[in-house]
Amino acid sequence: MRPVHWRDLAAAAVTAVLLTSLAACSGGSSSRSSTTGVTTTTPLPVNNVQPVLMDYGPIVNGQYVGFNNTLYTTVIICVLVTIACQSIDHVLVDTGSTGLRIPASLVTLSLPYMTDTSNNPIGNCVQYADTTYQWGPLVKVDVQMAGEVASSVPIQIVGPTNFIAAPSLCTSGGTPAQTVAAMGANGILGVGLFRQDCGSACAAAAPPAIYFTCPGSVCAAASVPLASQLQNPVWMFPQDNNGLAIVLPQVGAGGSVSLSGSMIFGVGTQSDNSLGGAQAQGADSDGNFTTTFNGKSYSSFIDSGSSGYFFLDSTTTGLPNCASNGDASGFYCPASPVAFTAINSGPNPRGTGVPVSINNAFSIANALPLIDSSFVVFNNLGGPSTAAFDWGIPFFLGRTVFVGIEGQSSPAGTGPYWAY
Amino acid sequence: MRNEFILLSILAATAFPAGATLGGSTESVVTDQSKIHAKRAVVERQNYTVHEMTGDDGTVIREYVTPGGKVFGVSWTGPTIPDLTQLLGAYNTEFQAAMRAKRGRRSSAAVHNPDLVVESSGHMRAFRGRAYLNSMLPSGVAEDVVQ
Repeated sequence: MRPVHWRDLAAAAVTAVLLTSLAACSGGSSSRSSTTGVTTTTPLPVNNVQPVLMDYGPIVNGQYVGFNNTLYTTVIICVLVTIACQSIDHVLVDTGSTGLRIPASLVTLSLPYMTDTSNNPIGNCVQYADTTYQWGPLVKVDVQMAGEVASSVPIQIVGPTNFIAAPSLCTSGGTPAQTVAAMGANGILGVGLFRQDCGSACAAAAPPAIYFTCPGSVCAAASVPLASQLQNPVWMFPQDNNGLAIVLPQVGAGGSVSLSGSMIFGVGTQSDNSLGGAQAQGADSDGNFTTTFNGKSYSSFIDSGSSGYFFLDSTTTGLPNCASNGDASGFYCPASPVAFTAINSGPNPRGTGVPVSINNAFSIANALPLIDSSFVVFNNLGGPSTAAFDWGIPFFLGRTVFVGIEGQSSPAGTGPYWAY
Repeated sequence: MRNEFILLSILAATAFPAGATLGGSTESVVTDQSKIHAKRAVVERQNYTVHEMTGDDGTVIREYVTPGGKVFGVSWTGPTIPDLTQLLGAYNTEFQAAMRAKRGRRSSAAVHNPDLVVESSGHMRAFRGRAYLNSMLPSGVAEDVVQ
């Protein structure tokens, strides 16, 4: 982790970002056009291509602590009052969640905790399907990726020692994933289908385990206005803010030691992010769509934060589970690779009323030799997930996957949608 | 809808005394109901009963009860994961120990021990999961009723 001061930012692109953001305050970075008396302001195009990679992950105490099949990027966070910034590498790119979360141990900037209308700190909780959780206060930073800057974005500081302990509603009997080693990453960048982590459900009421008000040593579930919730930074960019595309090359059946790709901001906003031949299919208000497998329909989602294809069970797929006491416990271990086809379908996000269905072919190999190898990128890692389909990282390899953010319009229609 | 479905009652949430959960007695069901401020429906099926509680946030918790009044299974769907300490009781310790042994991946949870089975999947805003005890499945009842 290298703390950087603005004066140290030698990279031309980053310097350009800062200059652009400063200039934006005086309106100097925009072009104006006037037609029939209506003046519109269009920001000048910026670099919208953010490098992403898959590798061994961050290093803690001289050891790589990354997990298999993890997509990382580098995020710059800044506090503009002092124009101080820091660059954080190996932040997990997660289309299954929303919001930026950074372990407190990595944060070198001085950032005041956000408070609610009663001046009490706001606590945020995120739970994952594996029953790990992250807890911590919110701060506001500017978030920079490529040439894009989202200003004053609420993010979560994970597990600071000077903050109130996680309430039992948040821990839910689960396991904390609040350190770099426990996360296998220097934070999580949630760039999923939604603008906020919780949305209207937390603005209108106080669900039990997401937002809390912390007046003393005890926190209570609380409602939080949309603007104060964790945000998908992409929708807060001044441009290229209707979604993103994750572009990754394919790997061989034996896997790869690393992989480089791109996260391109915007859908159909610049010459490098047009849909091309990709088909768009809408997701529901929870972010799910339908996958049909062997004639039966299942609830389904696409998640770059999942290590594999997690789907159905051993009985339904015919795939044996790996030994429960072995390295590959929780994955499938067929003797030889097995090919599958499933159909994803959802409404057309253009609102045509005609559902969009897309065939997906994939293969599941024996997870044990893959996990025991020195490689960390696999396109054929799978495991059980009862009565559901989780299209994890292998789904992203060898293609471009567009994420259409809720309420944002694009040539593919209005989000939330996936296109590929 | 199967014929043995009989909707017995839908009760408004009220406070109930504390109790146990998975593997525990039916008193634990009403405890859970009070803790999640839920509405409750009870459905009688062949050889077991389903107590369904719906929280204000849309979380649905089902508890599957043997004719002898023991909770042999639980399931959940909704925007958050319910308190598993409460829902799984002492079995959560076994579940979490098994999960900690599977470090180094981000995935659905699937623990299939000889007696205890716990499965959890989903993503932000949409979680689902279930747990059951093989040893307590009523005769003639398959594990896949716990959904």
